[in-house]
Amino acid sequence: MKKYILKDRSLSIISNILIILVWVLLSRLVDNEVIFPSIRSTITSLVEIIKDPKFFDMIRYSILRSLVGYLFSLFLAILMGILSSISKFLLNLMAPIINFLRSVPTMAIIILALIWLNNEYAPIFIGFIMVFPILYETVLESIINVDKNIIDMANLYRVDKIYIIKDIYIPNILINLSLVSTSTLGINLKMVIAGEALSQPKYGIGSHLQLQKIYLNTPGVFAWIIIILSISKIFEHILKGVECMLDIDKWK
Amino acid sequence: MKYKVKNIVKYYGQLKVLDNISIDFAENKTTCILGPSGCGKTTLLNIIAGIIKPDSGKLVGFDGEDISFVFQEDRLIPWKNVRDNINFVLKGKMDRRKIESTVDKYLELVDLQEYKYYYPKNLSGGMRQRISILRAFAYPSNFLIMDEPFKSLDINNKQIVIQFFKKLRIAEKRTCILVTHDIEEALDLGDKIVIFSGRPARVKKVMENTYNLDRDEDNKRKLKMLIEKELIGG
Repeated sequence: MKKYILKDRSLSIISNILIILVWVLLSRLVDNEVIFPSIRSTITSLVEIIKDPKFFDMIRYSILRSLVGYLFSLFLAILMGILSSISKFLLNLMAPIINFLRSVPTMAIIILALIWLNNEYAPIFIGFIMVFPILYETVLESIINVDKNIIDMANLYRVDKIYIIKDIYIPNILINLSLVSTSTLGINLKMVIAGEALSQPKYGIGSHLQLQKIYLNTPGVFAWIIIILSISKIFEHILKGVECMLDIDKWK
Repeated sequence: MKYKVKNIVKYYGQLKVLDNISIDFAENKTTCILGPSGCGKTTLLNIIAGIIKPDSGKLVGFDGEDISFVFQEDRLIPWKNVRDNINFVLKGKMDRRKIESTVDKYLELVDLQEYKYYYPKNLSGGMRQRISILRAFAYPSNFLIMDEPFKSLDINNKQIVIQFFKKLRIAEKRTCILVTHDIEEALDLGDKIVIFSGRPARVKKVMENTYNLDRDEDNKRKLKMLIEKELIGG
């Protein structure tokens, strides 16, 4: 096991070195900071962005929007998922809504959000719309596809419904949610930033990214990409920590 | 006889599955129901367990009775360790302290204390089935239903799990029904053997398993031949 982890880590390091090499090579080949910036100019931009007194406000607001949207999606997905698993009426009512949310173009949602909401809340709504269907279906499937053999066993042993919910259904939902948590959190953050780029709230990573575009400051865009990737990585680690605390993976 | 089924008839649509089944289950003995695969043995168990209703006939002694089960699959909850899997069926039946002492008592009885905190994933198929049997014995009931519990095990594990069951059976008094299609299994474990015909299932023969008393291999061979004759007879 340890051997595999070491192998994975070394492969990951090789992959990162490869990306940097390609970056250096391409920037030298293109030799145009506006089209493809060098590592040096990107790092200079990164330092400038971090030194900006508004930097932490920008990060704070984007993360806050992302978290608020995500937690709201999660809460609603759990609530609607449970209710849909109980009520056939609600299940059938939700099916076309989820289908619509899944297939409607992202850009259309962004534009509608910009029309309907003020620029502070539009990014939250955009993130919510993208993540809610995934979380809802995860919750619903966790309930519907729970191992029937185990439920039969519990019923035959006359285990109280409350214990069946607490010890079988809830852990099954949590386990399945943990499988999609990293990806959905990442999608949510990306969509919030996309929403910010278009709605231009006072503080937000997206607003600043849009500024870099207006000034054709490509190193600045690259620097922001590095910052966003770092935030995603931190999110991932925090999630892993929470999963460890809840012992979700202990049995695997 | 405390437990019995009388004149049970069951149809699935137009298909008659059970035809006038009557069996007496001797208290604290193991009754083996032996019959070809798919003849309706599990249907009878489901009727006894109260999962499905018979079209006619009646059950005596099972009303309100807590029943333990061992299935073909172990049916352990993957995210719970051995202790918590056994705990799970005991919840609401006794207080927390009693649950802990019951689990410890049974794990000790079969020398499996070291596996107390193991998760099912880390146990072999045979060990998981042993835990499933242990769960059935730890559950406070007088009646134990086993539906082909050794079917999915390889030959080595099967012998180990059968010995494990025998050990618990000696330590604990239970009225058991063991459903199987394996004659050796029935002769090895049953006090009484009930032979079912093919569909619709009827009771073809009820015999006392004298091999269980004398452990005489000649007797076993004779009984085996007799059972085979009955089963081949259709």
